[in-house]
Amino acid sequence: MAAFFDWFRWLYEATGINLTILYDAFDRQRMVAGFWTTVWLCLVCIALSVVIGVVGAWLQGSSLKWTRRAVQGFIALFRDTPPLVQIYFFYFGLGALLPRVPNAYGIPEPVLTNVQWAIISLSLFAGAFNIEIFRSGIEAVPRATVEAAEALGYSRLRAYVHVVLPLAFRICLPALNNNLVNLVKTTTLAYAIAVPEMLYVAKQIWSDATNVPEMMVFLLLAYVFLVGCVVWVMGRIERRLKVPGIGL
Amino acid sequence: MRRSLIALAALAAAALPAAASADVLDKVKERGTLVVGVKTDYKPFGFRDPSGAIIGIEPDLAADVAKKLGVKLELVSVVSANRMEFLRQGKIDLMIATMSDKPERRKVVQVIEPLYYSDAVNVMLSDKVKVTKWEQLKGAKLCGTTGAFYNKDVATQYGPEIISFDGSEKPLIALQQGNCIGYLYDQTFIAGKLLDAEWKGYHMPLPGIMETPWAMAVAPGEDRFAKLMSDLTKEWMKTGRIVELEKKWGVKPTEYSERMYKEYKGS
Amino acid sequence: MSGGRILPVILPPGARGATGGPWRAPTLRARHGAVLVLALLLAVGAAEAAAEPGRPSILGTLWRWTPLLLEGFVFNIAISLLAMAIGTVAGLAVGLGLISPNPGVRGVSWCLTQLFRNAPWLVLLFFVMFLLPFEFRVGGVTIPFPGWIKATLGFALPVMANTAEIVRGAIQSIPYGQWEAAESLAFSRRRTLWTIILPQCVKRMLPPWMNLYSLVAMATVQASVVGVTEMLTLVSEVHAAEGGRPELLAPLYGYALLCFFLYCYPIGRLTARLERRFQVRI
Repeated sequence: MAAFFDWFRWLYEATGINLTILYDAFDRQRMVAGFWTTVWLCLVCIALSVVIGVVGAWLQGSSLKWTRRAVQGFIALFRDTPPLVQIYFFYFGLGALLPRVPNAYGIPEPVLTNVQWAIISLSLFAGAFNIEIFRSGIEAVPRATVEAAEALGYSRLRAYVHVVLPLAFRICLPALNNNLVNLVKTTTLAYAIAVPEMLYVAKQIWSDATNVPEMMVFLLLAYVFLVGCVVWVMGRIERRLKVPGIGL
Repeated sequence: MRRSLIALAALAAAALPAAASADVLDKVKERGTLVVGVKTDYKPFGFRDPSGAIIGIEPDLAADVAKKLGVKLELVSVVSANRMEFLRQGKIDLMIATMSDKPERRKVVQVIEPLYYSDAVNVMLSDKVKVTKWEQLKGAKLCGTTGAFYNKDVATQYGPEIISFDGSEKPLIALQQGNCIGYLYDQTFIAGKLLDAEWKGYHMPLPGIMETPWAMAVAPGEDRFAKLMSDLTKEWMKTGRIVELEKKWGVKPTEYSERMYKEYKGS
Repeated sequence: MSGGRILPVILPPGARGATGGPWRAPTLRARHGAVLVLALLLAVGAAEAAAEPGRPSILGTLWRWTPLLLEGFVFNIAISLLAMAIGTVAGLAVGLGLISPNPGVRGVSWCLTQLFRNAPWLVLLFFVMFLLPFEFRVGGVTIPFPGWIKATLGFALPVMANTAEIVRGAIQSIPYGQWEAAESLAFSRRRTLWTIILPQCVKRMLPPWMNLYSLVAMATVQASVVGVTEMLTLVSEVHAAEGGRPELLAPLYGYALLCFFLYCYPIGRLTARLERRFQVRI
């Protein structure tokens, strides 16, 4: 293994291609940690945003006018403002208003860390899009299908659970797919509040070693790989759930 | 934006054919403007006034250079993470941006000798943190600035966890909000901050480490410009210009700048 | 919503309650905007109360810096419009390449689309920023290539890839029978595309294209990360110039949010309306 890593040091000396993430133990460690931080950030945010989407879409179908309006306002606010400013607003703006607990040094420390703020703001951002997606999926279920279920004596709830939701989920899978890919790409913004994900680590490394081109190519490949993984998993789900005649 | 308008004007101006082997000095003269990269978040070395103009010690030095060349001055805001790239690409002609002189940087840009300033690395800590040795910071969360050369050295030598942001404004906010216990940065900068009433509850108990001179830089291969800058720097040392600017902007003159003044005064 | 109710299907059409007809998003009106502004003022007020007395008021500070901040915002909009224009033209070409009968052209277009659609915008931006030169020399003529133009190109790349997908999707959504009908009328492939298929596509492409635009407009703040002086850069510089008061941060970032909201929300509403108008219900 050591010989393998040393080969890259030789590569640097011989050709100038400086892949410190392979031969320098410190850089290697932080890049591996950065990769897993990105993966973890993606997984947590995907799960939370889907939950927000389902709950929001359900609330939006509520018969209470103000509930619907509140959800609509939430969507508008998060869809129509830049996610980067949202992250700054949350971390620097709202972070100042949070209660604090003293840490080991007796310094009051905010209850939420930068990683937690990143998760919150990214999930809310992607969640706002998911609400719209789930809502349009529910809307796209043909009325006739619901009426047929009702004619068969389904209650509203049971028709919703057994007929509308399964169909709606299949209809909105492509759009959901798109949004989740987007979410994976948006996690790079967490870099701005020093969450040690891949872009952050890459930037630290290239400021130390001035190997910008190498790190850039590495980053592009890494993200294309991650997005590829999401697309592949979503494609499997899509195929597994396929019902002839429904969905696109 | 003003700068984009200038850029558009430059675009129009560039339609005129330029000499094939023009170096940056010729280009500056032809353009009529010298573009200098300076910091905008490093009070008092470079910061903005309410009209948006960039002012401070380094902008003043840049103005001296422009005056010497007899051209207009344009200041570009740079941060540690992009200043060398900007210089290499020619986005700026000259960099006076609190850059420490390091061997690997000399490979990338051309450093002006003599070095115009010097500074050490230190950490601004909350009064509640009582430490006397750098080793005691092991495992502690320190805020930092992306692109500072010592981040990796301090992290590997003394073992604190460094959370770095772009520029110096954001790490300070993070420090105030308690996201880290201290801010690892240039000693001069911290000393300047500690004079401010805003930073009453903070101190700088540790000895400065890794003292490194600061370097102005030009793009590699610009020997003529480098020579001119080198002469100008010597003149600054001789006339005590740097000490004078330190006083003008309320900084206690550093040991380095006073020593250089003494050394060159007689020459 | 329990099962004990009368089944809605036996009610007359008008009496089916809120869930009867197709669902409509409640429209936000001017008064909702007023609520938003009020919320901002309240936040400012709260911050004001937390601030020490004897300092300039927060509203006053915001007002004093408004010309500079709005100048920055206008610059953001300019970048987004330019990026959109460049990206759309390139995207149209790549999109047509995606359905080209030539497998080589198709392959290249596919690679371009996939690469630029799936790479994070911020990474593309760093890429363009750091790896493109600052100026070009074409036959002795120096063409400067400042940061904001590079950032614009950095945004144009993902726009290109997304537009290409939109174009391909719209063209493929036109029933294939139309191609065949045109062919039987002796239309060439090019004429069919330009005079029959694409005019119909415009309607279908417009809503997703406008969505894309609002994404680009919001993404322009990322240029601050790579050293272009735009609104977000100015926000932090203003904060620094005001002595770094922590209570100023929420109002300043809130101000930036408000600017973008006021710009992007109407675009979003318009898009939704167009979408509904052009919708084909099954």
